[in-house]
Amino acid sequence: MEIVESAVHDEARQHAEEAALAALVDQYASTLYRVAFSVLRNQQDAEDAVQEAFLRVLRHSDSLGEIRDHRVWLVRIVWNIVLDRKRRAKTRPETDDIADLARVLPANGLTAEQRAAAVQHHAQVMRCVEKLPDREREVMLLSAFEELSSVEIAGVLGVTESSVRSRLFRARNLLAESLQHKRSTQ
Amino acid sequence: MSLSTENRVDRSAGALQAEETLRLIATLPAAEGLEDRVKAGLRAAPRRSTVIAWPFSSAEGWMHSAGARAAAAAAIVLVVAGGGWGVYSHIQVAPVPTAQVDSQTPNEAGRFSTAGAKHVPQTVEGPAVAAPAVEKPEAGKTQVGQKHSAKGKDRKGTGPAAEPRR
Repeated sequence: MEIVESAVHDEARQHAEEAALAALVDQYASTLYRVAFSVLRNQQDAEDAVQEAFLRVLRHSDSLGEIRDHRVWLVRIVWNIVLDRKRRAKTRPETDDIADLARVLPANGLTAEQRAAAVQHHAQVMRCVEKLPDREREVMLLSAFEELSSVEIAGVLGVTESSVRSRLFRARNLLAESLQHKRSTQ
Repeated sequence: MSLSTENRVDRSAGALQAEETLRLIATLPAAEGLEDRVKAGLRAAPRRSTVIAWPFSSAEGWMHSAGARAAAAAAIVLVVAGGGWGVYSHIQVAPVPTAQVDSQTPNEAGRFSTAGAKHVPQTVEGPAVAAPAVEKPEAGKTQVGQKHSAKGKDRKGTGPAAEPRR
């Protein structure tokens, strides 16, 4: 039986796409997970978001070669997914999320009292971050990722780099004011 | 250069602490075996739709010629168009009515007329009565009958009373 040349070509191309996708998963799954977790604050939800992001990539795997910066592209995909999910599903009250998150943050070398104080401080910071305007909060969250430069954050959010800088400046000021106000009222 | 390392000078202490918390969140390790689960999910996901190869054609078959493909496409178009024309040409148009039908119009009372129809109720037949027996005239009763008949004539104006006075 003769084998059609195009079939061989398609199969080879499919194998190449699968290999490229597997390489992307190995390289960026962890980053995407952390980006998703910073917004969703839930392990299972973050993992689902990463899975959905790579499924979207699979659907457009034939255009992988046209992407210049895979990391920014992938972060942008997962960023849109998590924002959409957060907007749609408000299954748990915000306070529960913050308390859970504050507990899982690392507190190595701290006494029990120090750890309790750290948990309280983290929760307070997260509450203040939640009260920031959307634009400022998004820039603030993404700026916490060491591997993302201001240019890359601009690429993820679809704005200019100067806009990212001005938003970050505003976010820091608002956050500092908010924390100061909280401390003065306590 | 990342944003977290630049512009450190103008940060206030509160904002620095806040960013430290956010950085801790950003460095939380991913769940164990995440990559394997994602890959397994991708393998289980349905692939993109592909064009199914025609099973009866070979690599050097006639379908690999551009001219033959164009001819096949033209034949398909002809068949479809011919079928459409066949259906169209067999459609019989309904005949135009020649007789004019009067439409029913409301009568003076504002109702539609009955077109002359009359409702005849079915009545029950009455009792059959036997014909009365005819009596034979007798002698005594004849004069009385004559008087009666004379009076009747007077009433009618044919008798002497009806004559004009002189």
